[in-house]
Amino acid sequence: MRTPNVRVLYIDDEDHNLQAFKASFRRHYEIYTAISAAEGLKIMKNVDIQVIIADQKMPNTTGVEFFQSITETYPDPIRILLTGYTDIEALADAINHGDIYRYITKPWNDLELHNSIKNAYDAYKAKIDLRKKIAELEKTNDELNRFIYSISHELRAPLVSVIGIVNLVKMEGLFNSSGEYWGLIETCSNKLDYYIQKTLQYYKNNKTTAEQTEIDFSKLVGELVDVYSYTDRDTQFTINVNQTLPFIGDLFRIEVILGNLISNAIKYQKVDERNKKVEIGVNVTADKAEISISDNGIGILNEHLEKIFTQFFKSKVQHGSGLGLFIVKEALNKIDGRIDVSSDLDRGTTFKITIPNARE
Amino acid sequence: MLENKRTVMMVDDNEIDLKINSKIITITKLFDEIIVCKSGLEGMDYLNKFIDSPEKLPNYILLDIQMPDMNGFDFLDCYKRLPKQFINKCQVIMLSSSLDFGDIKRAEANPHVIKLLKKPLSPTELSELL
Repeated sequence: MRTPNVRVLYIDDEDHNLQAFKASFRRHYEIYTAISAAEGLKIMKNVDIQVIIADQKMPNTTGVEFFQSITETYPDPIRILLTGYTDIEALADAINHGDIYRYITKPWNDLELHNSIKNAYDAYKAKIDLRKKIAELEKTNDELNRFIYSISHELRAPLVSVIGIVNLVKMEGLFNSSGEYWGLIETCSNKLDYYIQKTLQYYKNNKTTAEQTEIDFSKLVGELVDVYSYTDRDTQFTINVNQTLPFIGDLFRIEVILGNLISNAIKYQKVDERNKKVEIGVNVTADKAEISISDNGIGILNEHLEKIFTQFFKSKVQHGSGLGLFIVKEALNKIDGRIDVSSDLDRGTTFKITIPNARE
Repeated sequence: MLENKRTVMMVDDNEIDLKINSKIITITKLFDEIIVCKSGLEGMDYLNKFIDSPEKLPNYILLDIQMPDMNGFDFLDCYKRLPKQFINKCQVIMLSSSLDFGDIKRAEANPHVIKLLKKPLSPTELSELL
């Protein structure tokens, strides 16, 4: 059985070995032979070799030395070392530095060598296929990401117009003119907007490389609370920031993390609670920032605690998107942060975050 | 007195948003006059045409970021080359449905932009800037 177009290079300083090799294998493979490492290199420059067999014991350059010299320039061909004597040191060298695939003793057995070449070629093909697949996947992944990004932008523009029209309806005093219909349109639009925003956050967290800037937690937490408490004025915030040292970190991701947690703390309050409270504490040290966000809201069931960071996990009672905490966790992973959660159905939920201070 | 007349120029390729925002301004009476431009180019043409007639020029420009051909930032590049006596009396507010961090930073860094407002335009946020 002839394997088509397998290009094999055999390097040996003994011409009769080269002749014998050619005689045994020329009907199976495309055979190239060279009398020295230097000659072999010349062939490699001109022919796309897939399997290289080299004799260890050669004057000037040994087989292992040759393999070692081409690890960077020709990393793809699969290497087989032939040697007439058992030299443990050469063997160790070959494995450690020469990246060899097989070790075959001289005189070779035709069948053994034949099988080795066949297997080496399969390994070569697998290597190349894998690389092609990786390149394809990277391309697809990149396209998908860009697609998500542009589609989210394109979707959001008209949606924002819809929300603008609803606002106008309110301004003109028409909001209650058609029963609850305007209210329903508003709820649906806001929900859709929330999904789009989370999708964009997720995309950006995946794509953006960390950018280190100085972070003033007092200012950041204050701003975030302003943004998220806009729709819910009932909740009382207690903010306690203890920062005497500069903190350097990735502002975008920290904003995403705190924003999601603060908005959750507001969203998951008990409806009939008269005293809705959220406490935010930040403590900055030379090597980290520890942040805790506690609420007296509805709490999280014990059996749900492990699942809340998984994508699309939603509890049956609550109408979340299943994205917020997943994004928090993803963002923390990117900046080597940690998160712990403890919750009690009576007392509420506390999230504790630790983010390393990148200040050197 | 002419000096007290507040004129706003809106530059946006989205006709629905132009309509919504005009309506908001009419209801809230935040401005006395509205100049509507459907592209950055149209806005620039208007400013160039009336640059010597101050009574026709806006005191404020509401500028959308994402527009074809000339986007909001391109518009600002042309805007900054207009005569100083006009630029000094005019303020630019950028408008965008984008939540892009880069856009926000870029808008805030531009010396001619007083603020980037997110769409939908909130009358409260707008009046706080005037």
